[in-house]
Amino acid sequence: MSFLGFGSQPQISTEQKISAAEAELDMITTMFNQLLDSCYRKCFDKSYNTEDLTQNESLCIDRCVSKYFDANVKVSESMQTVGRSGVLQQKK
Amino acid sequence: MDQLNYNEQQQFQKIVEQKQMADFMRLYTSLVDRCFNDCVNDFTSEKLTDRENSCLTKCAEKFLKHSERVGTRFQEQNQKLMSQMRQ
Repeated sequence: MSFLGFGSQPQISTEQKISAAEAELDMITTMFNQLLDSCYRKCFDKSYNTEDLTQNESLCIDRCVSKYFDANVKVSESMQTVGRSGVLQQKK
Repeated sequence: MDQLNYNEQQQFQKIVEQKQMADFMRLYTSLVDRCFNDCVNDFTSEKLTDRENSCLTKCAEKFLKHSERVGTRFQEQNQKLMSQMRQ
C-alpha cells in the first residue's frame, strides 16, 4: 500500500494475505462455475428423458473435466511464454 | 493458504461462508433460468403443463447430479495439479 503514502511494509499485512486468499478463492469459484456450465453444454442434450446421469453423460463429464484442466495448463504456459518475452511489459 | 495464522484463518473462514451463501444463491437462480429455458416454451396457458413439470424436475435433478460429479472430478484434478507443481 506504499502508493497511498503509508510507506512500504517489510512483511505482508493480514489484510493483504486475506485479500490474496480471497482472490484465489474467487478464481477457483469462477473457474469451477465456468467448468460446470461448459461441460453441461457439451455433454447434455435437452430432452431430459431421465433425472439420472446416463453412462455416456458420466463418461463425457469425466473427460470434459480432465480436458478442461489440460486446457488450463496449456493456456497458462502460453501466457507465461508471452510474459517472459516481455510483450506485456513493453506497454508500461 | 497455509501461511495464514489462526486469527487470519478465522477471518478468512467468515469470508468463505459469505461467499458460499452467495454462490448457492447464484446456483439456484442459474438453475431456474437454465431449466426454464430448456423446458418451458409453450405459452398457450399460464399454468405449467405436466410435461413441463416433469421436465423441470428432471432438469434440476440432472444438473445437481452433474454438479456433484464435476465437483468430485474437479477436486481430483486439482490435487493432481498441485502435486505436479510441488515436484
